[in-house]
Amino acid sequence: MSVKLVEREVLSPLGDIETKKRNLNPFPDDFETVALLDNTKPGADVILEILKDSLGKRKFLDVKKPAGAPATSEQLKKAAHSDLAILALGDCGSCTSWIVLDAIRLEYMGTPTISICSDDFIPFARELASSHGLNDLRMLEVQHPIAGLSHDEIEDKSLKIIPALRYLLQIP
Amino acid sequence: MAGKENKINFKNQTCGCLIDDLLRGEDCREKDDGENILINPEAEKISHQFYLRHLTDGLPIIPPTEERVLKFLENSNRKGDDLIAALPPRMGKATVEKIAVNAVMAGCLPVFMPVVENSINGLSMGRFNLAGLNATTHPVAICTIVNGPIIKEIGLNSGAGCLGPGSLANATIGRAIRLCMLNIAGAVPGVGDHATHGSPAKYSYCFAEAEEETPWGPLNVERGFKCNTVTLMGVEGPHNVNDHRSTTAEDLLDTIAHTASTAGCNNSHVPGEILVVMSPEHSGALEKQGWAKNDVKDYLHQNMTVPVQLGGRGGRKLDSKWDIDGKVSITRSSEDVVLVVAGGPGRHTMIAPGFGAGSQSVTVPF
Repeated sequence: MSVKLVEREVLSPLGDIETKKRNLNPFPDDFETVALLDNTKPGADVILEILKDSLGKRKFLDVKKPAGAPATSEQLKKAAHSDLAILALGDCGSCTSWIVLDAIRLEYMGTPTISICSDDFIPFARELASSHGLNDLRMLEVQHPIAGLSHDEIEDKSLKIIPALRYLLQIP
Repeated sequence: MAGKENKINFKNQTCGCLIDDLLRGEDCREKDDGENILINPEAEKISHQFYLRHLTDGLPIIPPTEERVLKFLENSNRKGDDLIAALPPRMGKATVEKIAVNAVMAGCLPVFMPVVENSINGLSMGRFNLAGLNATTHPVAICTIVNGPIIKEIGLNSGAGCLGPGSLANATIGRAIRLCMLNIAGAVPGVGDHATHGSPAKYSYCFAEAEEETPWGPLNVERGFKCNTVTLMGVEGPHNVNDHRSTTAEDLLDTIAHTASTAGCNNSHVPGEILVVMSPEHSGALEKQGWAKNDVKDYLHQNMTVPVQLGGRGGRKLDSKWDIDGKVSITRSSEDVVLVVAGGPGRHTMIAPGFGAGSQSVTVPF
């Protein structure tokens, strides 16, 4: 009889993932009310103001939310009283997490969303959205960095994403 | 050389078949059902393979064989496939078995399992904000403070060097929690963990309170428990407060407050918890002058402040409600001062600011 030395197998330390794919809320054909969620990161207010100006005459709901932590249920309820919610700004790890996760919470509540993140954090934002089953969560990317820039520099970067915003919303 | 000649090359040895069988022309390779002797895989090889697959913290690991993992599961009150939580950002499932695999890799002993699994349970709670902590550019690490009889049972260090190297339990429990973050939560640097610099505290950050040294009663009792607890806090690496000369409680606490009052911490613009690990000599000196734990916490809360113009420079905008006469308190109330006693001889205290308002500590009884 032969004798074989067989190495014991090792177990994988990776946690299994079970993601149920979810659908996004469609944008309405026309929309009257837009919620602007500002997480108070430097420049978020400037970006939202530029985007607001590009959307013409509509009703806007200004909502402040924490940066590295979840929006409160009151903040989300206020934002959900809209036809569309735009969230800014994901330009760091925790703030990107909670831009994306709060956008997902709003999608669950029936409100379509657009998340604004800097290009350095967009890959993470997309991975995070996919982990929650929303692979196609709508995002627009501004050039990193935003923090530490002047108002004019942030305005320049914000204007560059207007065409993509108008395309997403099918505004001629 | 003689040793080399004596080495057995198992591959070139005889197959073990009977000569009669071979004479009958039977293929020994098909027939051979020889005995398998299981051996543990070489740690060096598995460490390297796991490292190349981004499954480690960079240090060698113990290969997580099924036999080793089963010993850890025997030390849990749960079943291996019980789900404790899905951990962000990757939303990996932290089953008891997966936690055990990572604990084996970290070099834990099986008896450490209750501390590790209850820690994972604690940090998965919403108010801890693991999604924010794991992904942030801030160097916040997960600090695990252990209280209760288990401290002595498993040899946790609460004395000299308790925040440093030298204790198997302290070192490997903290490391196991970090490996769970890497492998289950997906908090891989640059992928799911975006800390600009990271922190040495992200390798391991676990200690026990010196329950027999504290003059005020330990943290688990303060939080309403008499049993074992783990308290999880999202905090920066510890910063020393050296005060050998103060003779009054106020002077000593002023040194601590001054050290803690820094503009660059998260608490300066989003006030929240701070961890204060006081040495027995410091806590003893305060107690000797009649200061109760709440007195100390109140004093620190009132005196840990930064000027508003400096506090307002952090990532998030300072809410005007925190501006009190041009100063911002880095804690919201005295409850935010998490005060424990640990360490050896010497008049030192360690402080570690938290993640700010974005994370709240969690205490889990077991």
